[in-house]
Amino acid sequence: MKITRRDFLKKTATGVVLAGVATGLPVNVFANEKTVKIGMNIPMTGDYAPWGLPGLYGCEIIADDINAAGGVKIGNTNYKIEMVSFDHAYDTEKTIQGYKKLVLEDDVKMVMMLGGSTVSSILPWAQRKKMLTTTLLPSDITPKSEYVIATCESHPLYNVTGVEWLAENFPEAKTAVIVTNNDVEWGLQSASTYKAAFEVAGIKVVDVNLHGFDVTDFAPIVSSVLAKKPDIFCMATSFYTTPLMEQLYHQGYKGKIISCTLDYYNEIIAKTSKEFVNGTIFQFPDFDDPALLQEGIHFPDPNGFDAKFRKNHPNDWSAVAWEYPAILLNWIEGAKAAGSVEPTEVLKALKSNKKPNFVFGGGRWWGSELWGLDNAIVGRWPVVVIEDGKARIKEFRSLTDWLDKNNDILKKNMKALGLRTV
Amino acid sequence: MKIIIRLRKIIALIILLAGLIVLPHYLEFHYQDLLIFLIVNVLVVASYRIVTLTGEWSLIHAVMMGVGAYTAALLFKNYNAAMWFTLPLAGGAAALTAALLSFPLFRMTQFYFLIGSFAAGEAIRLTWMQFIFPFGGSGGLSGIEPPIIGSIDFMDPIPYYYLALGVVLICLFILYRIENSKIGMTLHAIHWKAPLAESVGVDTWRYRALAFIIGSFFVGIAGALKIHYLGTITPNQFGIGFMVFILIWVIVGGYKTIYGPLIGVVVLTIFDESVRGFGELRPAIYGGVLIISILFLPLGLESIYPKILTWCGIGSNSSDGPPP
Repeated sequence: MKITRRDFLKKTATGVVLAGVATGLPVNVFANEKTVKIGMNIPMTGDYAPWGLPGLYGCEIIADDINAAGGVKIGNTNYKIEMVSFDHAYDTEKTIQGYKKLVLEDDVKMVMMLGGSTVSSILPWAQRKKMLTTTLLPSDITPKSEYVIATCESHPLYNVTGVEWLAENFPEAKTAVIVTNNDVEWGLQSASTYKAAFEVAGIKVVDVNLHGFDVTDFAPIVSSVLAKKPDIFCMATSFYTTPLMEQLYHQGYKGKIISCTLDYYNEIIAKTSKEFVNGTIFQFPDFDDPALLQEGIHFPDPNGFDAKFRKNHPNDWSAVAWEYPAILLNWIEGAKAAGSVEPTEVLKALKSNKKPNFVFGGGRWWGSELWGLDNAIVGRWPVVVIEDGKARIKEFRSLTDWLDKNNDILKKNMKALGLRTV
Repeated sequence: MKIIIRLRKIIALIILLAGLIVLPHYLEFHYQDLLIFLIVNVLVVASYRIVTLTGEWSLIHAVMMGVGAYTAALLFKNYNAAMWFTLPLAGGAAALTAALLSFPLFRMTQFYFLIGSFAAGEAIRLTWMQFIFPFGGSGGLSGIEPPIIGSIDFMDPIPYYYLALGVVLICLFILYRIENSKIGMTLHAIHWKAPLAESVGVDTWRYRALAFIIGSFFVGIAGALKIHYLGTITPNQFGIGFMVFILIWVIVGGYKTIYGPLIGVVVLTIFDESVRGFGELRPAIYGGVLIISILFLPLGLESIYPKILTWCGIGSNSSDGPPP
């Protein structure tokens, strides 16, 4: 077959046009599409992994859903979200390495963290790089930590809502004991908050047992506090809820039980009984709860999220599974308002919103009364009770109302345990 | 022949030093941090080796590092003391603590000493945890800053790396000199033939205590070096978990020569970082490699080089017995 000069030019021209169309189309369609990276500097291995890894899984679900729907529009640009994680195993050395990797090498626009000493170690870098950093422990906030915010969990302040609910529904319960670990970040913060809440509710605390992390046998601890015949057994924010519950079961405790968390409560039921665990009050709902479908909840399709999470990661659900995603949603809200993904712009937009979206609604910025800076969002928080072996939200209560009325009592109790307040 | 061997050693040392000087400039930010912690950990294992020279293995070395670190932190927080003062004072505090602990601890030997040292260490660590004032409790202390000299901000990793490298090299030189001095030879003698050493008038209690004090002094300096860069100190940094890592570095590296623990800490730190991509499987992989290494290299990584020489027919396997 003979190819003429005319045919050759025609075919070549057609090929060039087709190639141009093929390569040019996506460029035009996705001209304003970018990827924004969000960092997670969390424990993914070691003792603290249950308070890190489920959060990454949760964020990946939210990010995948957003990306599948075409991304999120911030300013004039459409962004896909990419989660970038670093496992610091709750070790300060690795935390600093991870923070620098995420901020300086991966160019993330926000770093989510668990809190405690790991956050203290990165504070100078957060300040220096003006990097928006989040914590689940607002006690990390200091007057100088303007780039550290707590937009979801206001540990352990929300525990007061559980005590308030208990006092109203079980007025015959008049005495309580508190047993928890004696660490500054979780145990003592929580014990002092519960003491304040009991004081406000007119419940007398008859014993407080603050034990070390070296305890392996909880029988003597439980025996000694049960000798005071308490109406309420409070575990505050204990790392040892399972062995404590086992001891309470074996020692025949019949009173009310209240705790900050009850992660992996199915394991507790398996080790004790459904009847025994029923009625236990705590603060962290499962997200298949129908109560989360009511108005004022700022979390898209919580039931669907719960189902997807448990399908992909059947044994990994913990309190942080929805908390980090809730923080991610806060960031998206801030970025949209700012029209920018830059950390300082997002922070400015978030802080300038006097009624920020809070996962359970009713949120407002708070914190200067206790930590010197209004960098935590507090709002409504659920009171959760085990019913027929399943966590169920009984009520949402306002934490802000309680704080407005009782901040001085809270401060007094925190100071009594040597905790930092302004 | 001796001159050639010496010359080879000097050339190797110069190449190593040159490599250490240029290395941080070719690393990403977070690897620069890793390099600083690695350099500090080199001093930790080198100082631990001095303690083990007498044959006694303690479980208090990590806590002694903490004594130095807390000393530096408290001096900085309360008196704004400069790092140049906190470094030697941190070593001094750890050495003093070791001297005091020598009296009860060296009434024990072998396994009893191991357990006794663990108990003493935990008592110290739990004291830091229990008292919010002055130690900050479990949350520890933060805001411990590195120095700023003129325009050099030691918060940046590269300047701090050179600072740490300088301090660690000086300490390593002193430790090397100690090991090769009469004191070092006596420590070796106590390890291998304690009754014989006693029979010729060596006060073994005193030498064991001296090794413990010297090791603690240098690990105290390592603690201060680490904490001035980290800026935060907590009791958990010096717990049994870190102590186990020290033991692993020394055992896997080998402890017959001063190079063994150094090889161990360097190789295992790099290996641990290289398997980061395996996520939750990382501890299992790390553990598996440790088991394999101990099974097939019971005398540590340091025994590879003499083995290679033996295979090549240019050396004898000298790693099986006591040092000359």
